Amino acid sequence: MISAAKTAAAIHAGKAKAAHLAEQALADIAARDATCNAFTEVTAARARAEAAAVDAAIAAGRDPGPLAGVPYAVKNLFDLEGITTLAGSIIEKGRPAASRDAFLVRKLKAAGAVCLGALNMDEYAYGFTTENSHYGPSRNPHDTTRMAGGSSGGSAAAVAAGMVPLSLGSDTNGSIRVPSSLCGIFGIKPTYGRLSRSGSYLFAGSFDHLGPFARDVADLALAYDALQGADAEDPAQQWRPVEPVSGLLGAGTTGLRIAVAGGHFARNGHAEAFAAVQVVARALGATARVEIPEAGRGRAAAFLITMAEGGNLHMPDLRTRPDDFDPMTRDRFLAGALLPAHWLQQAQRVRAAYRAAALKVFDEVDVVITPATPYVAPPIGQEMIEVDGERIPVRPNLGVFTQPISCIGLPALVVPLADPGAAGAPNGLPIGVQLVGAPWKEQTLFRVAAALERAGVAASPAIPR
Amino acid sequence: MSTEFDAEAYAKAAAAAVGLPLEPRHLPGVAFNLKLAARMAAVVEGMPVTPADEAAPVYVAGREMPKGSGA
Repeated sequence: MISAAKTAAAIHAGKAKAAHLAEQALADIAARDATCNAFTEVTAARARAEAAAVDAAIAAGRDPGPLAGVPYAVKNLFDLEGITTLAGSIIEKGRPAASRDAFLVRKLKAAGAVCLGALNMDEYAYGFTTENSHYGPSRNPHDTTRMAGGSSGGSAAAVAAGMVPLSLGSDTNGSIRVPSSLCGIFGIKPTYGRLSRSGSYLFAGSFDHLGPFARDVADLALAYDALQGADAEDPAQQWRPVEPVSGLLGAGTTGLRIAVAGGHFARNGHAEAFAAVQVVARALGATARVEIPEAGRGRAAAFLITMAEGGNLHMPDLRTRPDDFDPMTRDRFLAGALLPAHWLQQAQRVRAAYRAAALKVFDEVDVVITPATPYVAPPIGQEMIEVDGERIPVRPNLGVFTQPISCIGLPALVVPLADPGAAGAPNGLPIGVQLVGAPWKEQTLFRVAAALERAGVAASPAIPR
Repeated sequence: MSTEFDAEAYAKAAAAAVGLPLEPRHLPGVAFNLKLAARMAAVVEGMPVTPADEAAPVYVAGREMPKGSGA
């Protein structure tokens, strides 16, 4: 699978046909998806129609857009017209088909991209592993006995396996960043309120973000640029000017103040997570250390608010058909529906106080480097893991470094280490690093990610065949 | 807080209050998650806040889309 940028260039130059590329991608998915179980639906007819429209535009001398003929797929919580939006559940299977594409899908279509299907996820996005009991676990393309991460596990696996160069996912507490790290690809969770979420199935609206995955920075930037735009239908979106990043990838890091996060972000994980941070810090010449104060409390606040919002959202089905939920999520939703109001209100006040404290960090630095995940992909089914001398549940701890960041809506871009084995990652499995910026400073994060890629430090590792 | 919290008793009472039928077979898992939430609540409670610390969500009465916002 060639990159999105090269695909679009070939289409524009008349050197490739979108219809041909779509057929190749469909055949590839048919041949290889069984190994990682990324797709829950392949939209072949739609892909053929969209590809034909791109080829017709080229033939007529019109510009089909910056993503002309680029295959992509979306987490199955995005509305795709004519298909029921599953959000990883069987409960939603009985609902009517979506009458319209989600806003971001409409954006990609307008940019000329070709939608190949819908992707597996944790039920209702409540998980970090995509061990979905209804549709089976998505498997990590680097080792199919291991988790792909979640909740956007299908989105990450499809890109890491090379079945599509781009995909979309959602991130409430880490669901783009965790699978990016475990599958060794690039992913961005933009600032809260940057990209419209209308037409996607929410999980916890206070924290829900959407964003793209890709195997290189240029492709991630192309997608991110295409996805921007104001939408009156998302009440949380901040209507800002489009701030494209693709033209800034060569800008370098001169003048940027970059530091490594200490405190919460220097414990709670295995050695490879911190070694990965050091590799990136060395490449950037980042020797300063900063502390994001109260990050642990921010994580706890996010935990409670997420649980309560999720429980409230699903109350009608929890009341009438609890056994139709995935056992992996059901008891958390039930418990979330019962939390005392005091815990929630206190969590919301702590969230604001933590934000005020954390934003002061960005008076001193532009980018903070943290681990993305506390360890490489665990085996599917693993329950517990030892961290800092303590046996703890492996799944919730996957979000220990991402949850404090999404709690306050900071933009964060995960870059995969090009050579995770050299950083001590067990079995050379992928691991990423999280670049965190001040609100609305995605451009800075893309500059840093591109510099790391040019230095050979960040890249999507090849899949063993 | 978490050591004194009778999560199963709380779950039954709170479920009745909000009209959520709770199957006995789901109770252990619900109680486990409530205890986990109680531990998180204790972490949150440990941060001093003052009456001036408002909650994060701020209600907005209405919005107007500015020109140039990419619509």
